[in-house]
Amino acid sequence: MDPILLVLATLDGIAYAALVFLVAVGLTLIFGVMRILNVAHGGFYAIGAYAAASLVLSVSGADLNPWLTFPALLVAAGAVGAVLGLVIERGLLRHIYAKEEVLQLLVTFAAFMILEDVQRLVWGVQPYAATDPVRLLGTVEVMGIPYNAYQIILLPAIALLVLVGLRWFLRHTLSGKVITAVTEDRETAITVGIDARRVFTITFVIGAVLASLGGALASPTTAIQLGLGAEMIVLSFAVVATAGLGQVEGAALAALLIGLGRSFAVYLVPELDVLIPYMIMVLVLLVRPQGLFAVAEKRRI
Amino acid sequence: MLALERVNVRIGAMHVLRNVTLEVRPGATAALVGRNGAGKTTTLRTVMGLAARSSGTITFAGTDLDAVPPHRRPALGIGYAPEDRRLFSAFSVEENILLPDRVARTRNADAARKLERVYETVPELKELRRRPAGSVSGGQGKMVALGRALMIGTRLVLLDEPFQGLAPALARRYGDALRRLRERERELSLVITESNPALLAGLADTTFVIERGEVVPAETAPDHVG
Repeated sequence: MDPILLVLATLDGIAYAALVFLVAVGLTLIFGVMRILNVAHGGFYAIGAYAAASLVLSVSGADLNPWLTFPALLVAAGAVGAVLGLVIERGLLRHIYAKEEVLQLLVTFAAFMILEDVQRLVWGVQPYAATDPVRLLGTVEVMGIPYNAYQIILLPAIALLVLVGLRWFLRHTLSGKVITAVTEDRETAITVGIDARRVFTITFVIGAVLASLGGALASPTTAIQLGLGAEMIVLSFAVVATAGLGQVEGAALAALLIGLGRSFAVYLVPELDVLIPYMIMVLVLLVRPQGLFAVAEKRRI
Repeated sequence: MLALERVNVRIGAMHVLRNVTLEVRPGATAALVGRNGAGKTTTLRTVMGLAARSSGTITFAGTDLDAVPPHRRPALGIGYAPEDRRLFSAFSVEENILLPDRVARTRNADAARKLERVYETVPELKELRRRPAGSVSGGQGKMVALGRALMIGTRLVLLDEPFQGLAPALARRYGDALRRLRERERELSLVITESNPALLAGLADTTFVIERGEVVPAETAPDHVG
């Protein structure tokens, strides 16, 4: 393989993995606490991307300092995640926690479809491009190859920051410990005084904000159009399943594995690039059905 | 202190508790004995709000527990140590014991004082306190679960089969801890379930026998169950 392609594939893979991680880690956090596989997560990602693009475009068009497009990305992500997360958890999921898992999955799938229609209604069908943040950061040279700094420095840096921050939050803050306790054993958490329902809301909103952050950060790098969310939810599900459901650190490594696998496929066997992430997932699950990083759950009677 | 009045619990098609009526006075130690599957665990879980009852009332210190959501029952001073320990393996032993007070936002000084008192009652915990909870043995885990329940249970402590699976030496130390507790906390009510009532000899001052979900008069029960 041409060394230039090798470097390019690696850089592409890292950049992509950073985005996938942000979405996957929220998905896995929500699953860990609530035991719900939240398909609507793809909708949070897509609406985060649309909202960020709209805000960036209006900042760019309004004769303001162009660097304000960066806080605009974060503001869009926070607002979309908080509002959608609260509405879906309080309005929908809260009523079905006692129901069987299949129904919960179908309800989040329905929410995903509704969010797709919301995108169509609000943003129409034409694609959006809001590339100012990428342009502003310019390019850096990595082993002689110019690559845009936004994707190869900013995105991985934010992903790392989220990973480290989340680990710190879960281990060293009271809210984090409470979330960890509910993840491990919901019932016992209740008997030590933890309000599991409140923990569900907080966790779901954190997960939703992370998904829409992924979307917002992706928005300057790609054309934003319908179908964005579906692609991302399937891929981040592959990451979460590969890592093991509920694994935060594992999701980072699995995202890297799948991101790199996909980008190498793009250069080497382009006809397989869509397939590679799922082949990795299937291979891992054949050998370790609980995922790479999860310990098989002890049976409780 | 704690009163169950004609409590019925159905889990699926099973009628697990049938008109269970019992009362535990302040400072009393009540034994709830019966075979496996008789409904001992379900009785304790119902008090904690983990199993839903279909009828009947449970009152605690004059409060109808219907009005108290399960996660607020610990704040009333009801501690619960489940049979299978259920420690949080992500935390250390001491973090497990302190978690209820952290959640309740007890002042640090108060929590430290309570913790010291628990360590005096169950001295084994002091040596274990820095260990990851996932690394302690099953028997030690039971001690930790007892310590955690004592931090919460200032008025009522529910212990589900505490001696189950304990090696004889540990069982003796667990029994010692319960006797120390009994001497130190005269107002505390205790409910202990056990399939082998001999283990509670000298500890319990009231015994309820439960058979197939029903509390039967103690004197008509066979003297050896389980």
